[in-house]
This record gives sequence, C-alpha cells and structure tokens, in this order.
Amino acid sequence: MSYAQKAERRVERRRGWSLARRDALFGYLFISPQVLGFLVFVVGPIVAVFVFSLSERNLLTGQSTFVGLENYAWMFTADPVFRKVLVNSLVFTAGLVPLNIVLALVLALLLSRRRPGVTLFRTLFFAPVVTSAVAWAIVWRFMLQNESGTINQLLQLAGIDGPNWLREENWAMASVIVTRVLKNVGLNMIIYLAAIQGIPREYGDAARVDGANGWHVLRHVTIPMLAPTTLLITIITIVGSMQVFDHILLMTGGGPANATMVLVYYIYQQGFEFFATGYASSLSVILFIVTLGLTLAHWLLRGRER
Amino acid sequence: MRRIKAFLLTLALLLVTAGTALAQGETLRFSIWSGNQAHLDMLNGFAESFRETHPGVQVQLDVIPFADYVQKVTLQLAGGNPPDIGWLAEASAPTFIEAGVLADVSGALEGDSEYDFQDFSQSALGLWQQGDVLYGIPFSNSPLIVYYNADMFEAAGMETPDVLAERGEWTWEKFREVANATAEATPDGVYGYEQSDGEGYGSRVWIAITPMLRAFGSDAWNDQGECLLDSPESVEAMTLYHDMIFEDESIVPPGERADFFSGNSAITITQLSRTAQLQGAGFDWGIAPLPSGPAGQVAIVGQAALVVFKNAPNRDLAIEFAKHITSQENVATMAQFFPPARRSVLESDAFLQSNAIVSPEDMQIIADGIINGSVVPSHPNFPRIDASARPIFDQLWRPNADVGSVLGQVCDTISPLLASD
Repeated sequence: MSYAQKAERRVERRRGWSLARRDALFGYLFISPQVLGFLVFVVGPIVAVFVFSLSERNLLTGQSTFVGLENYAWMFTADPVFRKVLVNSLVFTAGLVPLNIVLALVLALLLSRRRPGVTLFRTLFFAPVVTSAVAWAIVWRFMLQNESGTINQLLQLAGIDGPNWLREENWAMASVIVTRVLKNVGLNMIIYLAAIQGIPREYGDAARVDGANGWHVLRHVTIPMLAPTTLLITIITIVGSMQVFDHILLMTGGGPANATMVLVYYIYQQGFEFFATGYASSLSVILFIVTLGLTLAHWLLRGRER
Repeated sequence: MRRIKAFLLTLALLLVTAGTALAQGETLRFSIWSGNQAHLDMLNGFAESFRETHPGVQVQLDVIPFADYVQKVTLQLAGGNPPDIGWLAEASAPTFIEAGVLADVSGALEGDSEYDFQDFSQSALGLWQQGDVLYGIPFSNSPLIVYYNADMFEAAGMETPDVLAERGEWTWEKFREVANATAEATPDGVYGYEQSDGEGYGSRVWIAITPMLRAFGSDAWNDQGECLLDSPESVEAMTLYHDMIFEDESIVPPGERADFFSGNSAITITQLSRTAQLQGAGFDWGIAPLPSGPAGQVAIVGQAALVVFKNAPNRDLAIEFAKHITSQENVATMAQFFPPARRSVLESDAFLQSNAIVSPEDMQIIADGIINGSVVPSHPNFPRIDASARPIFDQLWRPNADVGSVLGQVCDTISPLLASD
C-alpha cells in the first residue's frame, strides 16, 4: 500500500466518522437537555413508583420494607375500599365521557354556522375551560347546597323539592359529573368546531342533490367525517376523567360515604393522609396500566383507520 | 480581558455577600398555621428578644394553612428538609411521637430553675411526655367554650347560657330547648347551633361530638383502645344530637353553612382564639361553659405544642428558642390568644385581663375549663381512624338513620385500628 493510498484511506475514514457521527453527536447534544429532564423528572419517578409499589413505606417515619407483591394482593383481595373506588371511577368515566361528547357535538353543530351572536356563545361555552378549577368547584359547591343553594331555590320556584345534592350518595356522583362536564365541554366543542369546518361543503351539497334532508346529512356525512376527531376526543376525555382529583377534593372530599372516592383521590389519601406511600404507589401503577391501555387502544384504532 | 475582570469582580462581590450572610448567624425555620398579623407580630417579637442572648439568629416564619399543615410538614420531613421548630396539634401528637421525628426537649428545660419547668400543669404535658422524654411544650391549652348571640336569645325570650350555667341548669336538654327556641325566633337560614367552625360533619366531627359523649359519660374511645361509640350512653347522646338536627332542625344541617360569627347561628362551640372574628361584630355576645349531662360537668381542651424536629439543621438552637418562647414572661404575652399551660400564668390576674374584648369573668370560665379539662381523643392511628370512620358517620347524617346501628358499624370499622399501634 502506497503512502498516498494510506493517506486517502485515513481521510476517508475520518470523513466517514465526521459526517455521520458528528451529525449524530450534535443531534444528541441538542436534545440532551430535554432528554435529561425527561429522564430525571418523568422516567425516574415512574420507575421509582414501580419500585416503591413492592414495599411498605411510611412517609413520616421514612421506614421501608420490601414486601413483594403483597400490596397488590391486598388491593385485589382484601381492601374493601379499592373495589368501591374502581367502581366509582368507572361510573364517573361512564357518566362523564358520553355526556361530554354528545354535549360538545351538539354545541359544535349549533355554533358552527355563521349566525348573529354565535361568537358570544362560543366564548360563553369556552369560558369555563379557562376558569380556575378551584373557583369553579367552590362556586358550584355553594350553588348545590341543600336549602340555601341557588339550584334548589330555583327548583323551589318551580315547586320542586330538590335533593341535598352533594350529601346524598347517588346525587353526589351525578353532581360532580355534571359540573365537571360543564367545566370542560368547551374544549371538546372547539375541537369539534374545527373539525366540522374542515369538512368540505360539497359533500353535504351532493347529498342534498340526491334528496337527503338535514338529518340524513348529519347522520351519514357529518358524523362519519368526524369519526377520527370523535376517537381522539373520546380517548383524551377518558384519560382525563381517570385522572380527576381537584374537582372531587373541593366538592365532596370523596364523600358522602365514599360515594365519590375515585382512584386518584384514593391514591392521594393513602399517600398523603395516611403516609402509606408504598400502597399509594401500587395504586398508581394500576392507574398507569389503565391509562397506558387506553392510549394503546387509541393507537391501534387510529392505525386501523388509516 | 475586560470580561474576565468583570467576572472576577462579580465573584468577589458574591463571596463578600455570602460571607456577611454567614457572619450574621443561623436562620431558624419556624412552621405555624396562623397567618393572623397579631400572632405574627407577637412571634417576631419573641425572635427579637431571642437575639439579645443569641445575636444574629434570624427566625423565618413559615405559615401553612391548618388543613394542609400535617401533610406539608411531613413532606418536608420526608424530603430531608424539615423546619427547625413548629406548632403541632394534639391530634397529630401520637402519630409524630411514634414516628420518632421529634426531638427530646426535656434536657434543656428541666435543669433550669429560672425556666421553672414544674410550673407547667402535669395534665397539659400528658400527651407530649413518654417517661422522662418530652416531645413538645404545649403553648396553647384552649378549652372548648360556648359562644352565644345575646341578641338572638333576647329575641327568643330565653335566658342566656351563662345565667343558666350559674344556676346549674345548663344541661344538654336545656341546650336543645334554647337552640330550638332561638332557631324558631329567627328567619329561615338562621339556626340555633353551629358546630365547630361549621365543620361538624367533616374535618371537625370528633370535636363536635366529644362534648356530648363525655357529658353523657362516654367517649369516642378509651385509653385501652376500646371503641365506646356504641355504648348505651353514646347512643343516647348521639340520638339527642340527631333529633336536634333532623327533628328540631335547630342545628345547621349537613351541606348548609350558617356562620355564628356573621350572625347566622345563636350558639357555637369553639375556642378562645376565634374571638378575633368577633372584633366589631354587629351583635352582643357572651361566653359560657359546656353544657353538662348525666355524667356531670365536663371540660374539653384542644392543645397545640411547640416541637423541635429531630433532624432539624439547627436542632439545639431551636430547642433554645422553644425554651425562650415558653418562658414565664412570654407565655404571659401569648395568653391573650393561647390559654397557657403554666399554672403561674393561668392563676394570675393578668391572664384574666389579657384579652381586650373578653371580660375577666368570661376568662375565668376559660381558666376553669383548662384546670378541669382533658384533651380530645387521640391515637397514633388517628389519620386512618378518622378517614375510615367518616364515610360511616355520613350515614348518620340522614333523617331516618338508625343511630345505634350506624355507631355499631363505626366501632366495627375502627376497632382493629384502635387495637393496633
């Protein structure tokens, strides 16, 4: 091998290194702050929760004993509150999600046309989304009082004796669902509005030429065209409803008689009221698995649509 | 070159500033749950006088709202960044003592004749003492007292609780009668009796029911960890309570608000510190002892103590500061807000005169309450006991509840928690 050949090879090697490797190096350097933050503040805690969930830990004393899967065994076989909490979370989700989506769709359809005052109503329905969740819950708590509450006083005018909304078990769940829907429906409404305005008018016009009435257009054109949006909204609303906490804390504190005790509230109670961070971590793992499952379902369904 | 010079200059300045800060001495972090300006001024005054003997020591007051207090302090402890010194309420005492996070303060206090540790009432120390070890110095020893709205009593044509108490007629039966009469003589939405801070069905349920339980000769549980809520005496007391809520409708019912201090209830039962809310009240009011029952006169004390955290960065200094705050002189200053645990202060005329809007006669009721009183029930498992009992108590707050059966269920649920430490 001549000297020239050797030199050429060396240059080639260095070039090969420098092009691919240097680009990669720079790329990694650029994303490193984000990745580092993600590792420290997201992946770290998630891994820690899995590890903690295998131990019995007390936040106050700082003691920790490895107990294997005992927390999970207790959760599914012995903890009477956990079963109730799961059922409550399902009831909350099953009540909130359809109500939210139907209401959001109806509002979006009503507000999608250019009519006088439409901007005002869009603003009105969206306003609760940007309102403080704390203020929203506290004001509703006052409005839902038994005798002196606004709602029952209005019902009284119509001759109806309203229930003690937040203190009766069945009504308490209904009350937190409805007030939560009213708080967040504006967001889904806006997403639907954008999707509706993205549907080409020609489709509806073509259907009308073929003799379709307004209902037919809605049923066979608009709603099918909105399917991807509906799927997205359904998943984010379900995931959001699994994570409800502040609303419950402020309106009912999980009561009466645990009727509104949902999963995240129970995690909070175990971890920060009883200081049982091990058990709270295993409950969080369950929440993580449920949420992950829902997200995976969304991915798969979206993939099939494409 | 210029940049380097500027950098070096900044660095030098930083070092000098840091140096001065260090030279100024340590900072004690002091957690409290009152943001009341008068309380803060008083505590800052103690910090000021502490500097006379400990130059340069700064005291930083961390105000945490009562509802979040235990949780936030626990998180600070868990995070390895505890406050040096703090307030702690009686309900949390066993939990914190058991957890081993509090420092023993006895050594610094007992040998000092000027401090005179023997002056503290033995009954007030009970909750904070284990053998020779002392985990807290009670600074507030505040009995539950009856506040009444004198205008409403006059409108209802009823004698006031203090007058009835003087004649020995202030019983729970009488309480029911006057609550009913005042509720009827006032407009809708105004009630005869509001429980402690309007939280009688929530966070203060134990405070709300204990005066009745004890007057009837029972309690929530006893020192042996036996649940007493299903005893015949308890059921009798709670039935009376239930009837007042749902038959007479004289007690603020669940889900309603009718604040005594804004003139919407005729009676409430709470502590001296709430007097601050009566500054400039638009009605005449007075103070009376708790009603008596079949078991006679009872007095119930709510306590708070100064504690030093075992892993505090400035633990020894914090103990010195706790000692300073609870000196005889400073306890006398605090007495206007926090009834003292020191007998010398409690028995002094100065204590009876200490609060500008409470008469010496009324302060005497408070002094008597402290001397005869015992603290509300507590237990190392209290957070769990409270949380498991409350959903069952919720079933009691219904018009057609079977009082005996619900109380039996409460006992079934909390007995295992009471038995285990």
